[in-house]
Order: sequence, then C-alpha cells, then structure tokens
Amino acid sequence: MLDMPSTDTPLVQARGLGRNFPQRQGLLGRARDVWAVRDVSLSIARGETVGVVGESGCGKSTLGRMMLGLDTPTRGQMLFEGRDLASLAGAEKRRLSRRMQMVFQDPFGSLDPRRTIGAQIGDGLRIHQIVPRHDIRAEVARLLDQVGLPSAAAERRPHEFSGGQRQRIAVARALSTRPDYIVADEPVSALDVSIQAQVVNLLMDLRRDLDLAMLFISHDLHVVRHLCTRIVVMYLGRIVEEGPADKVFGAPAHPYTRALLSATPSLHPRDKDSLHGVLPGELPSPANPPSGCPFRTRCPVAEPQCAAAVPDFRTLAPGWKAACIKAGA
Amino acid sequence: MLRYIAYRSLVALFLVWLVVSLVFLLLHLIPGDPAELLLSQGSLAADPAAVAALRERMGLNDPLWRQYLDHLGGVLTGDLGTSFRDGAPVAEQIALRLPRTLEVIGAATLLAALLGVPLGTYAAVRAGGKADGLLSLLSSIALSTPVFVVGSVAILIFAQKLQWLPAGGFVSFSEDPVQHLKLLILPASAVAISLWAVITRMTRATVIEVLERDYVRTARAKGLSRAPILRRHVVRNAMIPVLTITGLEMGTLIGGTVLVEFVFNWPGLSGYLVSAVDARDYPEVVGIVIVISMLFVFLNLAVDVVNALLDPRISLVKS
Amino acid sequence: MTRTTRKLLLPGTLIGLILAVIVLAPVLPLHDVRAMDVPNRFAGPSAAHWLGQDEFGRDVLARLIWGGRASLFIAVGSALSAAVLGTLLGLLGGYFRGVVEALTVRASEVILCLPPLLLALLVVTILGAGTGPLMVALTLLYTPNYARVVYAATLQVRALDFVTAQMAMGAHPLAILWRTILPNVMPPLLVQMSLVVASAMMIESGLSFLGLGVVPPTPSWGLMIRAARGAMEVSPLLLLWPSLALAGTILIFNLLCDRLQAVLDPRNVTAGGALWLRKGPRRAALPAVPAATDGPLLAITDMAISVNTSERSLELVRRADVSVHSGETVALVGESGSGKTLTSLALMGLLPDQLGISRGQALFRGRDGRVTDLAQLDEDGFRRFRGAEISMVFQDAAAALNPVHRIGDQLAEALRDTGDAQEISRRVVDLLRHVGIPDPERRQRAYPHELSGGQRQRAMIALAVANAPRLLIADEPTTALDPTIQAQILHLFQKLKSDTPDMGLIFVTHDLAVVAEIADRVVVMYAGEVVESGPVAQVFARPRHPYTAALIASVPEGAADRLVAIPGTVPPPNAMPPGCRFAPRCAHALPACSAAPPGAERPDPARITRCIRWKEVT
Repeated sequence: MLDMPSTDTPLVQARGLGRNFPQRQGLLGRARDVWAVRDVSLSIARGETVGVVGESGCGKSTLGRMMLGLDTPTRGQMLFEGRDLASLAGAEKRRLSRRMQMVFQDPFGSLDPRRTIGAQIGDGLRIHQIVPRHDIRAEVARLLDQVGLPSAAAERRPHEFSGGQRQRIAVARALSTRPDYIVADEPVSALDVSIQAQVVNLLMDLRRDLDLAMLFISHDLHVVRHLCTRIVVMYLGRIVEEGPADKVFGAPAHPYTRALLSATPSLHPRDKDSLHGVLPGELPSPANPPSGCPFRTRCPVAEPQCAAAVPDFRTLAPGWKAACIKAGA
Repeated sequence: MLRYIAYRSLVALFLVWLVVSLVFLLLHLIPGDPAELLLSQGSLAADPAAVAALRERMGLNDPLWRQYLDHLGGVLTGDLGTSFRDGAPVAEQIALRLPRTLEVIGAATLLAALLGVPLGTYAAVRAGGKADGLLSLLSSIALSTPVFVVGSVAILIFAQKLQWLPAGGFVSFSEDPVQHLKLLILPASAVAISLWAVITRMTRATVIEVLERDYVRTARAKGLSRAPILRRHVVRNAMIPVLTITGLEMGTLIGGTVLVEFVFNWPGLSGYLVSAVDARDYPEVVGIVIVISMLFVFLNLAVDVVNALLDPRISLVKS
Repeated sequence: MTRTTRKLLLPGTLIGLILAVIVLAPVLPLHDVRAMDVPNRFAGPSAAHWLGQDEFGRDVLARLIWGGRASLFIAVGSALSAAVLGTLLGLLGGYFRGVVEALTVRASEVILCLPPLLLALLVVTILGAGTGPLMVALTLLYTPNYARVVYAATLQVRALDFVTAQMAMGAHPLAILWRTILPNVMPPLLVQMSLVVASAMMIESGLSFLGLGVVPPTPSWGLMIRAARGAMEVSPLLLLWPSLALAGTILIFNLLCDRLQAVLDPRNVTAGGALWLRKGPRRAALPAVPAATDGPLLAITDMAISVNTSERSLELVRRADVSVHSGETVALVGESGSGKTLTSLALMGLLPDQLGISRGQALFRGRDGRVTDLAQLDEDGFRRFRGAEISMVFQDAAAALNPVHRIGDQLAEALRDTGDAQEISRRVVDLLRHVGIPDPERRQRAYPHELSGGQRQRAMIALAVANAPRLLIADEPTTALDPTIQAQILHLFQKLKSDTPDMGLIFVTHDLAVVAEIADRVVVMYAGEVVESGPVAQVFARPRHPYTAALIASVPEGAADRLVAIPGTVPPPNAMPPGCRFAPRCAHALPACSAAPPGAERPDPARITRCIRWKEVT
C-alpha cells in the first residue's frame, strides 16, 4: 500500500500555517507575539500516515488542532479537498466535520464520564445521520467489534474500562462517522507499553482496511517510525525536516533530528557512551525565539551564518527536505 | 511585583468607579421619579410640593450627565452631600462612625484567627478522630447561627442572667478605656464566632490537602523532623487560601456588622446605614454605600497583594 | 444502600420533614397566627399552645411554622431563580469566552463589589420592604455566585477532550452545552444551591430582624426574634424557639451542602489525618542483626506490602526480592500497578498511611557497617536514614518541590551537619553546580516555577545527593521529560555514579530502553510480584519469563511488522488470579500455572525467574 498512486490534489493540505497566541504584558503593556506554529506547509493523501514528532512546546498539538479545524490559523490556509476550512460557515463546517475526526491523548478525559459508551459512539451517527435511527444499536455494536470490544460494552460507562480500552472506544467514536481523515494526538502516550502495542496494531489495521489519511502526533520516535509512512520533525513551531520514514530515521539530515534520535533510549544501546553526545541546553522560549535558524543555539554544528536567516528547505531526494544550510552538503 | 500591585490597584480603582456609577444609576434609571419614590410611603402618594422641593435639592432638574458629573465630583472631593434628616454633612458622620465599626471587625478577626488556625490545623492532623468530629460539629453550629441570634442569646446569658458584661452601648476609649473594652467584648465575640468557624474549616481543609502534596513527602524524605515540616511546609503553604478567605470574609463584615451594631447598640457606620435606610435619607445611604464599597474593594486589593507576597507564583502568572 | 444515599439520608430526611410541615401548614390543625389573646400574653407551654404564647398571646408554634414558610419560600425561591439566571450566564460565558464572557460573568461580578447585606439594604431602600423586594435583592445577590461557580466548572469541563471530541464531531454548540457540559457542571451547582439557601435564610432573617424584610403581621423568624428581645427577661423561651428553628434549619442546609460535597468529591473521604505526624509508642529496640563483613548494601527478601483495612488485609506487593550492592545500578521495571513505586517508597518509610510492610525483611548496611532491617523501623527510626543514608528522587519535580520556598533554601534545609550561613550557602551553590544548573549563585534564589522542567529535576537530584547517601532511589525521574532533556538527566545520573563509585542506585522506570541505557541489573515486576531478575544484558538477550519476553517484544523497535501485544489488562489487586498472576494473559500458560504460585527458579546463578516453563521461553 505504500506504493499507492497519489491523486492530483491531496486530501488535506496545510499552506503556510501559523498560529499566534499574543501575550499581554501587564495592563498597559504591548501584546507580545508568541508563535506556537510558524509557516508550516504539509499535505496528506489518502492511505497515508504522516507522523509529527518533536518535544513539548514545538507546536505539534497546535498544528494538529488547526489541521482539524478546531483552531483557526492566524496565517495561512487549511484546505480539505481544496476547500479552505476558514471560509466555511458554522453549519457547513459541522457537516464537513463528519469526514475529519480526532483521537486524543488522555484516555480518561476523552470520554464523558456521565454517559454510556453506546450513547457517545452513537452521537456521530445521529448528528450526521449515518444510519437510520433504528440501526444505531447495531452500528455501535459493529464499531465496537471493529476495535475489539464486545457489544455489551455499549451499555457501560467509561469508568468500567481500562486506559487501553478507553482509547479503543475513542477510536470507535472517531470511526463512527466514517471519516476520511483522522488526527491522532499522542493517542498511545498515556498507555503502558504492552497496551500501547494493542492500540498501535489497531491503528495499523484501520489504516490498511479503511484507506484513511492520518496525522499521527507523538513524541515517541519508535512508535512513529513503526506506524508512519512519512515523518515531519518540528522544532520551536517550525518543520525542520520532512521525508519518508526510512530516510528521516535512517540518515537524518537535520542536526536536530540526529540529536533527537541519539537522545532516544534504545533497547540495544549502540554503545555505553552514547549519552555523551547529549544535546546541551533547553528549548528557547517561543516568545523570544533565536534569530535565523531556531535550532542554532543548541546545534553542535552551528556557524555564524545560521543566525542570519531562517534556512530554506533543501530537497535531498523527492519528498525529503531539511531546513539546514548544511543538509545534504 | 510592583507591576502586579500597580495592575491590581488600577483594577481596584476601576471597580470603585463602577460602584459609584452603579449607585448613581440605580437611583436614576429605575422607573419612576426618585424624589417621589423616596417620599412616598407605601401606597400613600407624596405631596407634590414636597416632591418639587426635593427634586430641586437633589438637582434632579439638571440633565442626567450633569448630575452624574456632580455626583462623581462630589465623591472625588470627599463631599458626600448633606443629610435630609438634619442637614449635617454626611462625610463627617461617616468619619466619626467608621473607626468604631472597623474596631469591632478588627477585634473579631484577630480573635477568630488566633483560635481558628491552630484548631483547624489540629483537626486536620487528627482528621477522623474525636476532636476533629467535635470541632466539625461546633464549627457547623457556629456557621449556621445568625449573628443576631448569637448576640441576643449572649445578652440574655452574659448581661442579664450572669451580669458579667454590659448589654450594650458605647463609651469612647479616651473617656473610659476599661468600659470601652468591656463593651467591645460581646459584639466582637458575636462577630468572631462565625468567622472562627470559617477559618477553622478552611484551615482544616487546606492543611489536609497540603499534607497529601508531594513536597511534604519530599520534606520527609530529607529527614526533617515533624515540627519544621509542619511549620515550613504544611502550615506556611496552607495559610495562603486561609488568608484569602479571611480577607474576603472581613470584606463582607464591613457591611455586615449592621446586625451586631443594632443588637448591641454600638453606634458604628452600619447602624447609621440602617437608620438612613429606614428614614430613606438618600444622601446618607449613598454616601455610606460608597464608602463601604471602597473599603471592600481595597480590602480585596490588600488580600491580592498579601497573596502575591506569600505565593511567588502569582505575580508571574498575572503579568 | 450505596454510600451516596447513606450520606444524604439524614439531611435529606430532615429537609423533607421541614418542607412537609411548612407545605402542609394550611391544613394542619394550627391556631390562627393573628389571633391575639392579650390576657394570656407570655404564657408558657400548655396543652393548647405547645410552645406557649407570645407578647400578644398569639400561638408560638403556629407562628413558627408559618414564619418558616415565609422564610423558606423566600430563600428557596430566590436560590432557584438565581440558579437559573447564574447558570445561564456562567454556561454562556464559560463556553463562548471573549465578548460573551465580559457581558455575562464579568458583568454580574460587579455586584460582588458590594458587601451582600449592603446590596440587599440598597435594594430595600429603593423598592421598600416586603417579600417581593427581598426576593429581587436575594436573586440579584446570588446570581453572580452561581455564574462564577458554573463559569469555572464550564471552563474546566470545556477543556476536557470529550468536549473537544463533540466539537470535532460537528455537534451544535447549544447541544454540547445542554447534553455534555450542563450535566458535568451539575455537582458544583448542587453544592452551591444548598449553600445559597442557607445563606439566603441568614440574610432574609437578618433583614426581617432589622424590620426591613418581611412586613408584619406576616410571621417570620427574624421578626419573632426581634419581638422576643424586648421581652427577653420575662420570657426567654420566646427568644429560644425562633432562634432554634432558624439556626437548626440553616444547620441542616449546611449539612446537606457538606454531605453533597463529600459525595461528589470522594477525595475527601480517604483523608484520615497524617499518622506520621503523631508520635507513636516507641517500638522496642530492634533485634540485633548479625553483620557479615561483606554483603549487599540492601537485601530485600520476601517482602510484602499490604493495605490495612478493618475488613481484611490486601497484599499489593508480595514476594519482592531485590538486592543492591554498593556501586551497582538496579532497575526496577514494570507497568502501572506492578508495585515498583510502592516497593521503593517502602524503603524510605514513605508509604501512604494505610499501607505497611507486612512480611519479609529489607536489610540495609549503614555507613558504620551495621545492618538494619528497614521493615521494622517506625517514623523516628527512618528519619535517621532519610537523606543521610538513603534518599530519593521523585518523578514529578514540579510537585515535589515546595512552590513557596526558594530552591536554595529547600536545599539548605536538607543539609546535615551544617556550618554557618556562609558555609551553607557555599555548599548549596556547589551542589547546584554539581548537578549542572547554570549560574548557581543566581539560580539558588529562584523559585521552582522559575526553573524549566529539566532544571527542576536537577534541583531535585541535588536535594537527594546533598548528604552523599549510600543508596539513591530514583522513581521514574525522567518520565515527564522530553527526549533530549531525558538524555541530559540520564547523563547526569551516570556522572553521579562515576563521581561516587560506592553509591548504590535503584532506578524505577517503565521504560525498558532506559533500563538498557543505565542499569547493571534489572528486576522485572508484574502485578505486585518480582517475576524475573538478572543482569540487564542477559535478561534482554534471553528473557526467562514470558512476561519479560512479551514486554520486550511489544516495544516498537526493530523490524517486526506487527508488535506483540499482551492481551487483556493487569488484574486489580482485589481480584488477583490464583497461582501465577500472569497466567491469564500468558501465551505459555498451562493448567499447572494457575494451581500454585511458581517458585523461584535459577536458570543461572545470577538470575531468578518465577515461571515453571522458563526453559521454553524464547
């Protein structure tokens, strides 16, 4: 399925997305720009899973919300099948939301504790009239079966389920409207590793069976590498590298990607001294980002000219690019 | 820090302006003629001549914006007008009576805090025990008994039956300090009872919460002994919300001593207000309301500032 | 009977009784409240007048009941109308934010700038005394309270993912408000409601007492107390009855409020005080433990940790066998509920009050060479060890540091055998520099919230190593951190180990990859039991327990297209399977596995596994 022919227009397309959360300093102080996401362009085709990785504060969750229309970009456009989400009126946007769904990180916050599982999964079926009213029960049972839960689960409330089960329920709810596109924001981060594997396997099956476009946000490089076809690495609100999973992880072109990979612990440590190459310092404040390349303050190979301007993307191979003046050199 | 205080002060000033305007509006925007409304007694219509005279005196014949500016200007210069009843300047009366009210509130708060904080801490440490149950019952009763009931019963017991203390009245401190303090005991205690209950319960709740915090466990892990943990890590942190609630309660008391002053015949500001309301003396009511509201707003400001001093996280969050 | 009904039974019944009496007042055989009987004024209780007669000879009982009717009507009526109004404002303001918030919640809060009784007086001044104005005043007074409570709850609920999920689902905003948010803000609303009824009765009676509320001859408790004051000496009972009725009713509503809060927020229930703060009876002197000349720093054998409830005792951890030699790093690894954190807390004597070590030994060799059984120590006994000999790095440094004290002060507090102020300050700065905090002279004056997550964890580590402990326990010290920061902290641990080669380190984690990076030996725990232990390289290369094997295979590292997922979930502590606790989820399980708990097998002198089929595990 990796070699599926790509269609002319991608299903989902972000063009130069930027999101500013201005912060006011005191009552009379001037509002200060804090860009959580800057100038992000990204497209996702059907059947493709794009992984967004980066550390906390890199803007990946904000990007996810914008790419689902839950947040309005300050700059740029978010297109779904070529239609700008910002230009849609309330009712039309709600109609379109049938085709775009979301799975969240926190398995305890993502379900309403007061309503039964069946009612919550049925919401989407009712709102968008997916199936006739009298078929809703059967459809809920089918959805539960699809994520590997018994149909009796529909009568129960969220507190009776474990974290992994809740996460499957959340997936079933997202699938209820038969979407074409799913944004999954750290869907397995809160789960234990043995349970995490259950959910990762489920997501892989769904992608194969339903031909979904998926934006998978995670800080866990191993999971992303396992699940995604294309990888986007973000740092301080910007994409620093984007490309096919095997390329980005196999021969990272951007120094940040390299640092992230070597910082990620492995079951098979390359050598005991691998930790000596750790990246110094911490993420700069998005309210006061460094000039030029955002990564230059921590970069092991930075040069004076990195401060001059934000580096342009360099294409290393078709579909593989990195924003570093040394990339590919 | 200074920036935070400046910011909060600006907000407080804004609120005071809002209250002053609100009081003005309340009287002018309700349907009907304020003068007529003030003079009428139930269904009895007011005398038209008297209404006209009152309208003139209140400046009701001026355009509304003019009246508003006069009102605002008066407040700014400390001129709160003269009483309908005796023509005395309202500001003078307030200046005379306000300290007496503040004295009762101050004494009551001191009493309540001195008893409430240690007892609340003790109840928290022994939560679920007998002492905790007893304190919880006592504070519930104290919280549920209106202050005028406490006051009336206190007079019955301590003044009439036991004759330990005077039933009420006022003598200025310079005249007779001992009698002054004797007269203060009952009203201050009556006010203190419900405040004590609030402080005790709040202290208990926050101390229990703080005891469960990770940093208390860290303090134990350091090998500190009980007393410093309790003092530096438990009570110190628990005091922040307790102070806040005490400040807010003091604020409500500024207007709420009405009943105590009435019961004990204590000639404070609140009692003055009741008689003004009773007599529908508009300038007096407005003047007192404005002064009390200002105090209320500035007390809240003081609470915010003290909180910011105690909790280093606050100034960062707001600025 | 559920806990909820049991808790609410008493206040519920009492309120029901009161409501029944006042609703039925017109049909009850009561005296006319206005019928005077001047000759019998101040008459005491009699067969005809159970509670006596007042200053006009009117029946006190009848007046009490009718007075309650007036008071409760006003209080409940205004509480309800304020609730409706305030909830509406709060919901709209909290959901839509922005301009709507300013127009609803913020606007109503202007009323809070006036002290409550004052506002009521102001309204009464304008509208005159009486029931109607009172209700207007009280409604006005309490609307902002509700608006605030509902607003805060709405903000909280709105931020939860299930509301976002509804938005993503394309649900109409009003449908979300009605179906999802309103039910979830109901609990605080109910609490607020009972509170407001009590408070409204307080103000209503106060105003009536002043003669500014309910207008005579309508009876009201406030008016009755006012009248009784004049005749206090003649007939103190007249003061007593309405006072009791008023205070009692308010008490019942306050009780309802307390109980509602306890039911809706079950966190309060478990709070049983702090046992460690009380001085217990001194334990008898510890039995002397024979001290071998060389042995492990710590040897835990067959330790169990149990909940001590009155009904029965439940073992959360059992058969824990862990040993740590000086200079060695032992990783305690397991998923949530495995008991790894409890085991490490037990070594510090920091178990929650309801838990305790119920079996086994934990022999610790101190600096002076003497061996102590940590399982036998009480709070005072532990204090000698904490910080000085054994210390701990906690998971969430943001919560584990006191937010109101400076980093330097919290560090200084931990130092043993301190010198003068200058000496302390020097040591604090040295420690901070040692753990890699830049500019320590300035940073020691910072508060925890002013540091980044990584720096806070460094400060936490500085606290733990302040007195050069013999054993350092690190409980998931890098779990909350980002990969690059995690790498820095792991690096710091390695540096500490090489700086103090004698220190033993217990590293608690759920991340197998971290274990591979840092530990010499690994102890794998599952459902409260140690299932396997041994040198890291050997265990990872050839696990001898199916759980360890499955755990390793479930890590998405390597070429396998599908991950190995362990079916099912960890059983809850009160429903542990008999025999091997992993058997229900195990691919290798035999009937014999569920018959009896497997004993410790030794595939290798350095390794232990608790599986009867360890030879077949690959």
